[in-house]
Amino acid sequence: MPILIERRDPLTQAQGVERGYAQTARRWPSRPLARRPHTASELSGPQPVARLLSTREGDLAGHGAKRALGQLIRLRVRVVDEDGAPLPGTVVEAWHCNSAGKYIHPNDSHDAPVDPNFYGAARMLAGEGGLVELRTIKPGAYPVPDTNGWWRPPHIHFSVWGRVWLSRLVTQMFFPGEPLNEADAILSAIRDPGARSRCIASLVPSATSEMVFDYQIVVRGRSAAPGMP
Amino acid sequence: MTLGPFFPREFAQGLNDLAPGASDAIEIAGRVTELDGRALDNVILEIWQADRAGRFDNPQFAGWGRAATDAQGNYRFRTVRPGAPAGRAPHVSFLVLYSGLMRQLQTVMFFEASDDPVLTAVEESRRSRLVALEEKKNTFRFDIRLRGEDETPFFDD
Repeated sequence: MPILIERRDPLTQAQGVERGYAQTARRWPSRPLARRPHTASELSGPQPVARLLSTREGDLAGHGAKRALGQLIRLRVRVVDEDGAPLPGTVVEAWHCNSAGKYIHPNDSHDAPVDPNFYGAARMLAGEGGLVELRTIKPGAYPVPDTNGWWRPPHIHFSVWGRVWLSRLVTQMFFPGEPLNEADAILSAIRDPGARSRCIASLVPSATSEMVFDYQIVVRGRSAAPGMP
Repeated sequence: MTLGPFFPREFAQGLNDLAPGASDAIEIAGRVTELDGRALDNVILEIWQADRAGRFDNPQFAGWGRAATDAQGNYRFRTVRPGAPAGRAPHVSFLVLYSGLMRQLQTVMFFEASDDPVLTAVEESRRSRLVALEEKKNTFRFDIRLRGEDETPFFDD
């Protein structure tokens, strides 16, 4: 049966060049994106992608004497397609900075301490219901270099595959109630308020030692998560 | 000071060879640049392509790979030359992820000019930017210029 793909709603996606984010004017194409027909090439994808990529349990917070510093959190992430159908077996990559706002990456020059017990990246396999769980610490905020006081709010990067090449998505999850959310040049580039709010996880009551957040990623279609590389 | 991206190094390692051990492998390499031709470091590129016969469902050939550019903006894939899928010319789909790109960018590399329906969706004067240069036998160069003079054509979803 042929797969039909509904295009992402432009209101749910950032446009291109954003004031307040200088690099966009050097990198986003100046010419409009061409619209192409969808053929078998765009409507297929590596399946199962888990065959190519090794996955493991989503746990970045450490254990015992090797606990990462910060607020312990558990994210329950659900990956669904445009019809709300869960995508079990898809691969989910997640990465974020430590609780002081420092990434484990040679290119991060932010003057904040490294946490030797924090790793920063996980690749997981979505189970039944398209669910993955990530136990980690809440990332810190960090200043964006050479800007007039832009701080990235705490956020977690997610990369998901979905069923076909056109459902490949890289996005960011934000935390509720963060004062930096509103002024963030990346989150505020999404014009549709509903789409912005879908980028923000929901706090769920928890009686454990972890704060629990729910978050859903829609990979395609009108209510797709905004692409945020 | 640099601004991201901080795409984990480990996620881009060991995934740019789609055809380990293949004697007929080809190389696709190039440079990713922004405005004014400045090279970009740690750009994440992903490719998706058909197998030698133009099929997308070959369990022996995954057809997907990922590479990161180095500090000089250079990337490299090793793969097989795809066959022609039904109704299409042989091609390799590219996805570009980087900071300063508010969304992922999609483009397509072709091996030669043709009347492929995706290639002809681009205005004629720009189509040659999507055709790789065969520098020597089985070695193809495909530079990606995000913005500026002679920029690479990109596709909507």
